[in-house]
Amino acid sequence: MDRPIQHIVIVGGGTAGWLTAGVIAARHKARMASGFKVTLVESPNVAIIGVGEGTWPTMRTTLEKMGVSETEFFRHCDTAFKQGGKFVGWTTGAPDDAYYHPLMLPHGWSQVNLVPHWLQDGRGRTFSAAVCPQEAICEEGLAPKTIATPEYRGLANYAYHLDAGKFASFMQKHCTEKLGVHHVLADVTEVKQDESGDITGLVTEQAGEITGDMFVDCTGFRALLIEKTLGVGFKDCRDVLFCDTALAIQVPHESDDAPMASQTIATAQSSGWIWDIALPTRRGLGYVYSSDHIDEEAARAELARYAGTQAEARKIPIRSGHREMFWKNNCVAVGLAAGFLEPLEASAIMLIELSAKIIADQLPARRSVMDVVARRFNEVTHYRWGRIIDFLKLHYVLTQRTDTAFWRDNVDPASTPERLQDLLRLWKYRAPWFLDEFDRLEEVFPAASYQYVLYGMGFRTEVDPVENSADALLASRIMEENAAMAQKMRANLPKNRDLVRKIRDHGMQSI
Amino acid sequence: MTNIAIVNAHTHRDLQVKAKASPAFDAKHFVTVIVAEFPLLAVQCPILLSKDAETGAFVCGAVLGFTQNENLFLTPDGWQGYRPLTLQRGPFYTVGEDLAIDLDDARVGTDAGEPLFAPNGEMTPYLRGIINAMQELRPGLERTKRFIETLMNLKLIEPIDISLSFDDGSRHELANLYTIDREALRALPDAAVLDLFRRGYMQLIYLMIASLKHVPLMAERKNKQLSTGPAPAWG
Repeated sequence: MDRPIQHIVIVGGGTAGWLTAGVIAARHKARMASGFKVTLVESPNVAIIGVGEGTWPTMRTTLEKMGVSETEFFRHCDTAFKQGGKFVGWTTGAPDDAYYHPLMLPHGWSQVNLVPHWLQDGRGRTFSAAVCPQEAICEEGLAPKTIATPEYRGLANYAYHLDAGKFASFMQKHCTEKLGVHHVLADVTEVKQDESGDITGLVTEQAGEITGDMFVDCTGFRALLIEKTLGVGFKDCRDVLFCDTALAIQVPHESDDAPMASQTIATAQSSGWIWDIALPTRRGLGYVYSSDHIDEEAARAELARYAGTQAEARKIPIRSGHREMFWKNNCVAVGLAAGFLEPLEASAIMLIELSAKIIADQLPARRSVMDVVARRFNEVTHYRWGRIIDFLKLHYVLTQRTDTAFWRDNVDPASTPERLQDLLRLWKYRAPWFLDEFDRLEEVFPAASYQYVLYGMGFRTEVDPVENSADALLASRIMEENAAMAQKMRANLPKNRDLVRKIRDHGMQSI
Repeated sequence: MTNIAIVNAHTHRDLQVKAKASPAFDAKHFVTVIVAEFPLLAVQCPILLSKDAETGAFVCGAVLGFTQNENLFLTPDGWQGYRPLTLQRGPFYTVGEDLAIDLDDARVGTDAGEPLFAPNGEMTPYLRGIINAMQELRPGLERTKRFIETLMNLKLIEPIDISLSFDDGSRHELANLYTIDREALRALPDAAVLDLFRRGYMQLIYLMIASLKHVPLMAERKNKQLSTGPAPAWG
């Protein structure tokens, strides 16, 4: 049956549901006068999970395109700046073992690959500090911009830390008041399908039947539409990424003016790692661990030692993996319904944005072309999940730790995807750079990210000094420029804590 | 330190203020101004917008020089031209409805400058002038804020990069400055244009645009100073 796609029904009112609703509604706003409609159905009784308190810089564009004021976003979601990740204890576990994965590309990225030059003569700097100013900025607790920098613009690249619960409410308000999204509070009791399997409507307890042309499953781990209705299976990736449980806790800052880190701090533990995310109001901590390697009581003790408190942590079982198919018939899964991976590189919200963007940009005009769009969406999304899994695994395979079974098991080649094994072999003789490997438009992590992790964790690529000499002068000049840039930024940027407070007090200008 | 006191004919009858412009207090290359001053300023220097370093909020200001603390209107012979109210006010403030003075300000004393009160206890013309300036300044800041808000709402503000080279080889870039976006102004709907005109804002907008011509003129003056050697020392 062919029909125009005019009514999009999103099920689930968490981060995934509201972000998807906002992205689609903003993109197709002009069509609303001629009958295009976005409806979000949310159960009044289901609590949202609210994982993923870290975003990618992509969120700036996503919010700006939806017409969200960045100042309001800071004021209502306990938002703070994020300038990257700091990984503590992942390589050797020694007290000084730490490296950065900043959000800025290495300086002079498109001109020269700095890796072999840094390997040959790093002048005692870490890789990230030698090629990018952001490690220095983060270590001094500085913000990525000043109060005079316009909304969504930065002097250093940045993303956000936010309160996911508040973010969902904030987006709800924006979507319903500014973007014309219809909000229905109702429990879905039955999903109706036609003979082809397409979903035709949702029977609800409070609001009768809601029909639609296309459905987006944002029901989280319940996967009401994609799994319970359409029977799409789940591809578990626990054989690669071992962690299957999280213990989450919130702790207050030491004082109201205590320094506030603008990097997500991921500290390796005996059988997993602890996230540490600073919001203006509190820190969110969580131990992500493998229950095959440590029991809950011992894990709680490790978290308590890090947090310096005995407060009870909330246990969240996690299942690493993703759908075998993301878009089936006239239904696409976004967010936790599509899959979950440990939040080591804050990929959850970023994947929601990317999925919502493809859905909005390539929204099929009619049912007859939807299967083509679906096939392409599935291909791209599969590729992306695969690359994220590879990249997360990279953080584990490079470890030199042998102190616990968790770290020893992680370097077992049987647990490493073949594609990653191939790359690691190649990288022994040639450092990743620019477009040589990660050249697809749909790439999630650029080669620069691989550089930061590889050389942050002491990976050695053989260097040919003769080959290096060709652009040694250029490389040296670029690294000097970077040092000068870092110096200038350190002199001009305010403290992260102070800027976030100023933004809440005075707001940012739009230009 | 500051020591702010409400001005009082009895306690302060002997007070004198060094009111003339001097490098210690007037050597500023950018000072905030109010819209009422635009006609006086537009004939002598650029009127631009900048952001307050503390709050990021836009302010209107007069560009008086091209480098930190350079003021081309301040000469050994005194101030040349119109001196903005915020400099004219000197050590005076308002506290509530009252005029106040900072007694610790270096310009305040009893042995030199302009007396506040005549021997008979009456206010001197100098003090009356200060009171007038303060009465203009306070509501003027509010009016200026509303003008800026209107420019913001109509998206009429755009950043401007001013980059100057001088004959001695020095180069200066003025950052954090904004002006009227003329293209956006031309694209305004009729109703908005009429509204700007009725509120007196259109004149302010054109004064700002016209004042930009002072950038090359002031640069030329500075160039002449550079070529005739260092400015004579202050006597």
